[in-house]
Amino acid sequence: MKTLPHVLAALTAAVATALVSQTANAAVLPDYQTQSGWFTAGADAVAAKVAQVRNTAGAKNVILFVGDGMGVSTLTAARIYQGQAAGNTGEENRLSFETFPYSALAKTYSVNQQTPDSAPTMTAMITGVKTEDGMLSVSADSIRGNCLSSKGNELKTTLELAENLGKSTGIISTARLTHATPAATYAHSPERNWEADSDMTTEAINNGCHDIAYQMVMDAPGDGLEVALGGGRSYFLPNTVTDGEGSRGRRADGNDLTAKWSENFSNAAYVWNQEQFDAIDTANVDHLLGLFQGSHMQYEADRADDVGGEPSLAEMTSKAIDLLAKNDQGYFLMVEGGRIDHAHHAGNASRALQDTVALSDAVQAAMDKVDLSDTLIIVTADHSHTFTIAGYPARGNPILGLVHAPEDEAIAAAPTRAGDGMPYTTLGYANGPGAKNGARADLTAVDTTDVEFLQQAQVPMSSETHAAEDVAIYATGPGAYLFQGSVEQNVIFHVINQAAALGGTKY
Amino acid sequence: MKFSHSICALFTLLSCSTFAANDTQSLPVCPTTSHQLSHNDTFGVQYQLSGAQHGTLQLLRSQAQTAYYNPENGVAEWWNFAIADHPSFIRVFAKHQRRIDYYTGDLRTLNIKVSQAEMESFATAQLLKQLSHKGPATCDGSQVYEGDVKQMHYRVIWSDELGLPLELSITHNGQTKQWQAQKLIPANEVELTLSRWQQFSDTDYADIGDNETDPFLAQMINQGFVEHSEHAVYDSKGKPMHGEHIH
Repeated sequence: MKTLPHVLAALTAAVATALVSQTANAAVLPDYQTQSGWFTAGADAVAAKVAQVRNTAGAKNVILFVGDGMGVSTLTAARIYQGQAAGNTGEENRLSFETFPYSALAKTYSVNQQTPDSAPTMTAMITGVKTEDGMLSVSADSIRGNCLSSKGNELKTTLELAENLGKSTGIISTARLTHATPAATYAHSPERNWEADSDMTTEAINNGCHDIAYQMVMDAPGDGLEVALGGGRSYFLPNTVTDGEGSRGRRADGNDLTAKWSENFSNAAYVWNQEQFDAIDTANVDHLLGLFQGSHMQYEADRADDVGGEPSLAEMTSKAIDLLAKNDQGYFLMVEGGRIDHAHHAGNASRALQDTVALSDAVQAAMDKVDLSDTLIIVTADHSHTFTIAGYPARGNPILGLVHAPEDEAIAAAPTRAGDGMPYTTLGYANGPGAKNGARADLTAVDTTDVEFLQQAQVPMSSETHAAEDVAIYATGPGAYLFQGSVEQNVIFHVINQAAALGGTKY
Repeated sequence: MKFSHSICALFTLLSCSTFAANDTQSLPVCPTTSHQLSHNDTFGVQYQLSGAQHGTLQLLRSQAQTAYYNPENGVAEWWNFAIADHPSFIRVFAKHQRRIDYYTGDLRTLNIKVSQAEMESFATAQLLKQLSHKGPATCDGSQVYEGDVKQMHYRVIWSDELGLPLELSITHNGQTKQWQAQKLIPANEVELTLSRWQQFSDTDYADIGDNETDPFLAQMINQGFVEHSEHAVYDSKGKPMHGEHIH
């Protein structure tokens, strides 16, 4: 397997620089080295970096993509998965955002946990302040699950700052719109699970805390979110209502927040299936609410089989940008691939990778729409998972398959055996449901590439867990150059604040 | 293990992995009511497991909903086939007034595929096709079926009226276990039970990973009632059921 990597076409000036460099090197390096495709491609990549000019202009628009649970190993596996799906060996592939010019690593720990959940991590990204697990955009001075303690500790979010400046704002998620990651952008709650009023404690209600769905529609910042697309329909409907897909509402207060959306905001529309979504003309709608599932939206692998039909993450992103871009003041948009995390918890790598590719497609859809001279795009994750890529599989070995050792001409027919005499998959988990007590299962006759297959794990746990290592940040557009090196996760807020001049700090 | 393949899978939370000598020959309840029951009606049937192991199981049916409830440990498995190709599944913990809701995607990640007909028929709809008809049984409108399938001997007293067995005996290696209908559960009682369960605090199965510190979930997980695996049904100790295949 000698396939060379695909590289970006170098700029004319950059190529010239590279040729100079290669010429200089050629004096000391043999031709078979300097003429190697690897060598020239690497030189081209450096030349492109040399020619790169920092965009220090202000960012009119900001789009923040968050892959929930999308750790670095997930990115590597997803890029190979996507490349192999296209008929290539896979390793040379790049997810859409892996071409971005700037990147950094983010430390994800929360105030009280080495390994965090999505609530404090998104709070860090969206407010600039780390908090404790389970809490949304309130400071660590609050006590989880205690309403009174959170009063006066609400943290201003990027989305709220953007609304205050007259920008349009939007959130998109394949999870519930009341789930931790999207919720942290617009809600303030000492308990991430207060998604509907029926989830709340007496203390919370008596002390005036509002549930997360209510906050999105009734306590909305500025003139309200312009776009909200995702799952979680039940949290917006009364418990006396059964929706078009058979889900019963959860609200005990009788509020139909989908109706309130249309009442509260001008030129507002509510949709709940693919047909209605497709029919939306963004030129005539200023506030779009789409709730496509009672709870989380389908995994990408199952999306085509949904009862009412669901738009893809890319389709939602594309339509959202069309709507938000109508505002001359610019916009802030958060897009979450919310189900990568869930598939990992289930130990189901196939679905996790398909949802990661769906996020990559959404980023590409955004890049196809925006002008990168005035739009900052950031792609990152809230936390990682215990997902591993192991063994010494041959180049091009199916990423979901058993490990086969490299051979000169072809991948060996027989899989590599571990110390227990059993074959093993390239992908696995350090813990989770794929673990068995006692001997490992013999996977010789098992189709490990099946979408339902659960990867083997080391430590038996009911649910695979989050992991604590750093996650990647990729960025392009004005201010993207501020992402360098290793940073605390809350730095993301400050980069946005700086680049878009949101006025949230002394900048 | 797929739900539709195991009689034990349906008998949630009851130990049925071992066989015991048949110690009862009592007759099943005859479904005589003030009106002719249809399998589309709302009703329930309470079954008694006889043999060395004992237990009670209630089958509750209401329109496209079927629930199996063990009143002894308060755990139920509740299916809704209102949208037949996209069934929803809820595990109910009545003593804790909590539920775990499984959506279509969750069931797929667990590799759980169910047949509505099998769920509604106490897992005997397919079995009947493989048994011999032996004639009418004692109760009106009931028939006796008997035969061997995969080294197991089955005897079923089937109620055409209910679309359910009144009695199911399984003999294997000389040991027999028997499920026997004890009583009918009226519609209002079934509706009340389902309505009560609907009010319980619920957690999406997909969200368990973010809520394992919840004391209830931690307890259920530790006891084995909740796990992300192909085993989605458990015996009374929370162990995954490995029941014998019914067909």
